[in-house]
Amino acid sequence: MMKQLFPIRHVMGYLASLVLSAAALIVIYGDLSSGANMAVLLITALIQASLQLFVFMHIGESADSKKELYINIAYALFVGLVTIFGTLFIFVWGWYS
Amino acid sequence: MDLDKFKVHGEPLIYGAMVSIALATIGILVGLTYFKKWGYLWREWLTTVDHKKIGVMYILAALLMLFRGGVDAMMMRLQTAAPEMKFLDAQHYNEVFTTHGLIMILFMAMPFIIGLMNVIIPLQIGARDVAFPRLNAVSFWLFFMGAMLLNISFVIGGSPDAGWSAYFPLASLEFSPTVGNNYYSLALQISGIGTLITGVNFIVTILKMRAPGMKLMKMPMFTWSVLITNVIIVFAFPVLTVALALMMFDRLFGSQFFTMANGGMDMLWANLFWVWGHPEVYIVILPAFGIYSEIIATFSKKNLYGYTSMVFSMLIISLLSFLVWAHHFYTMGQGAMVNSFFSITTMAIAVPTGVKIFNWLFTLRKGRITFTTPMLYTLAFIPIFTIGGVTGVMLAMASADYQYHNTMFLVAHFHYVLIPGAVFAVIAGFHYWFPKVFGFRLNERLGKHSFWWIVISFNVTFFPLFFLGLMGMTRRTYTYSEESGFGPLNMLSFVGAVGLAIGFLLLVYNIYWSTRYMPRDTTSDPWDGRTLEWATHSPMPIYNFAIVPTVQTRDALWSAKQDNIPLYDDKKITKIHMPSNTGKPFILGVIFFILGFSLVFSLWIPAILSGIGVIVMLAFMSFDRDHGYYISAEEVIATEKKLKRGETV
Amino acid sequence: MKIDASKPLEYSTEENSNKIFGFWVFLGAEIPLFATLFTVYFVMVNRFASGPSASELFKIGPVLIETFLLLSSSFTIGLAIHAMRHGYKKAMMVFMAITLLMGLGFIGIEIDEFFTYVHEGATLQTSGFLSSLFVLLGTHGAHVSFGFLWGAGIMIQLWRHGITPATANKAFIFSLFWHFLDVVWIFIFSFVYLKGLM
Repeated sequence: MMKQLFPIRHVMGYLASLVLSAAALIVIYGDLSSGANMAVLLITALIQASLQLFVFMHIGESADSKKELYINIAYALFVGLVTIFGTLFIFVWGWYS
Repeated sequence: MDLDKFKVHGEPLIYGAMVSIALATIGILVGLTYFKKWGYLWREWLTTVDHKKIGVMYILAALLMLFRGGVDAMMMRLQTAAPEMKFLDAQHYNEVFTTHGLIMILFMAMPFIIGLMNVIIPLQIGARDVAFPRLNAVSFWLFFMGAMLLNISFVIGGSPDAGWSAYFPLASLEFSPTVGNNYYSLALQISGIGTLITGVNFIVTILKMRAPGMKLMKMPMFTWSVLITNVIIVFAFPVLTVALALMMFDRLFGSQFFTMANGGMDMLWANLFWVWGHPEVYIVILPAFGIYSEIIATFSKKNLYGYTSMVFSMLIISLLSFLVWAHHFYTMGQGAMVNSFFSITTMAIAVPTGVKIFNWLFTLRKGRITFTTPMLYTLAFIPIFTIGGVTGVMLAMASADYQYHNTMFLVAHFHYVLIPGAVFAVIAGFHYWFPKVFGFRLNERLGKHSFWWIVISFNVTFFPLFFLGLMGMTRRTYTYSEESGFGPLNMLSFVGAVGLAIGFLLLVYNIYWSTRYMPRDTTSDPWDGRTLEWATHSPMPIYNFAIVPTVQTRDALWSAKQDNIPLYDDKKITKIHMPSNTGKPFILGVIFFILGFSLVFSLWIPAILSGIGVIVMLAFMSFDRDHGYYISAEEVIATEKKLKRGETV
Repeated sequence: MKIDASKPLEYSTEENSNKIFGFWVFLGAEIPLFATLFTVYFVMVNRFASGPSASELFKIGPVLIETFLLLSSSFTIGLAIHAMRHGYKKAMMVFMAITLLMGLGFIGIEIDEFFTYVHEGATLQTSGFLSSLFVLLGTHGAHVSFGFLWGAGIMIQLWRHGITPATANKAFIFSLFWHFLDVVWIFIFSFVYLKGLM
């Protein structure tokens, strides 16, 4: 029963996300360059997000809509990232100066 | 409380409108009571979850809004018809062009298209209804209440007056102190939520509820275009939602998003608006492409040429549509690198669009063409839209755009894109699918008369604007001097506008005439159609198909008629599961309306109460355990027999 | 209604699996929604005018507690779904209750944080940076609050009717929503708080 209530994969996912959150703290307590800091944040955040998506949300479990779900998320990320980076491109990096 | 802010002062025109709105409302209420139609209205329409009825309501609302937006347009053309006209003052001119744009795009073109897809998509894919019929009703009522909220701004408190794009800082509280732009943010927000729900609903419907055998690459082109459109809706509308919310925060709660001081950034509004706004253009144009594809194939009696390339060009357009938004503000101050990037992506869109144009032309080639009214609109669309597209490429060149920007040239360009690209399409689709819904065709002779009025007058109205733009006339100017030399062309444009009005009145008269006198269609397939919507009766029974059809080819009905490929595997009629009607979506819409209205006027207590009301309604809907009902097999058989005899049910 | 016994209860009817799919599409729409809020925040982050900047304002303590609560609640709602799939109604209810309580704790800390900010003179009206911060955090917080009410409503239905195709479907969709809020929080934690304190 305990095994059914606390599936190992799930527990490991939880522990991993706690560890990753703690690891990200290096950007405030560590002494890395700001580029390295951003890399740390990106990597820890992306792994955690994928943990949620694959381990907790079971995105791949339904055989008849797996492909559609991946396309859905990919399209959403495309639009989201284009909005973020396109806007930064316009207002920050590409601004006339 | 300060009652003064509810009043709109000044113009006899507005007082006239108030009186006529009041009279019309009283007339409707008295009429409903006198003819004892309240129960009918509630049972058959306000509580319906039937996709066909919801679609019809969308189209009715869109026609109403077409009239309203059209009157705005006539007022603008009249005001600018001659130099120094005194018909409208600057403020009213601002309000009129703002509401004209908003209504035509968001409350006419979009609902008309959503209405057509509501009616047709489930039929075209052989489904009994959409995936979530009740949410569909929620969508409609949110759209409708949003539209009504924007429309009452005209007589209560004042209309938005900062353009349909509502650029900051002009739209800020400082420069637009009336409640007009509060209406803008809330009305669009409410109807936008409805549209987003529609998007989700139709994606699921098309991906999950197609008839057996209808693979993705066997879907009719209209279904494909609607699928891609809804994908754009789902991913673009959240951006508008956020932008409108920020606008509301700025105007109601004093936040500093788009302000000129305290770190606010007015240009960020323009940016967010167009991140949504450009995909929005494709939201109204892609379904039009789908409608035209159906009509061209039907009336050329040929398969659509280049089906696969049609699909892929739409997919590419949907991705590119998210990559071009900065071309709406080349002159804002970003660097040459940014402008070059967006210039190139913009021009790239012309490629897949060109592919589609050639595919239509090749479909026409060697076809047996019949010149029906919908086909005439389609044929007129191709050259006129091409003019719109080519002038679009001119505008896409950032350096040249510094000359065209915000001139009448731009106005001419987007009318040349949107009128053939959306309005002609919905009119064509309206003529084409009208017999499906009502069981009789619109009169062809009257239809062709109105077609020629509309298509010729359209060019008379908007072609002169290209030259006015090149002469230097800016958009949104309410008057000009005699010396500017803008007079004659503006007068010509006004004459065209009158012709357009006549064309649309003829269209309305045609609906009236045909309803009274056109013979009833007994074949259910008046155009010799190719797709599944023509495989059931016209008008269709509530369950659409007594037996769900099976699909083996792209034009399933055509193959059934030509090559005797059977449409129905299973001849046995079984009981059919249907969703039950519910009044909750309508009530939710009304509460949203009250919420929006209260926020517009910063009436906090009703706003909080209606906000709680929304949550309570959602809880009611969640706790609802009504899972629909069954129509028994015997009842279906009886209905089918009646329909085959040509009786109505 | 046709019930497909080979699938988990929450997917078992066509209506149910359509609802799950539709909710995924809706979550797809939430991604650009939050991306736009992040866009606004990133453009505004250095536009703090005369108000405090990110590094002056943020304190890591409450943020760590919020992160821990939300991560753990995402874990427990996952456990609730596992319990549901094994038919353990009581365990499922307990895990859901823990989830919602942690959500409530999160909201409490966030409200306290907002009060502290306002007390320090950092309000919605102070600067572009603060407007964008409040609206980004507030939208996420509003989602959590809405989720709390929604989850409570589902618990009532579970308690009344047990684990049926309908309630299982609702609970599963709710779990997707809750996990998604955690994903958003991870990005707020990393790119708002940690980056601001960097």
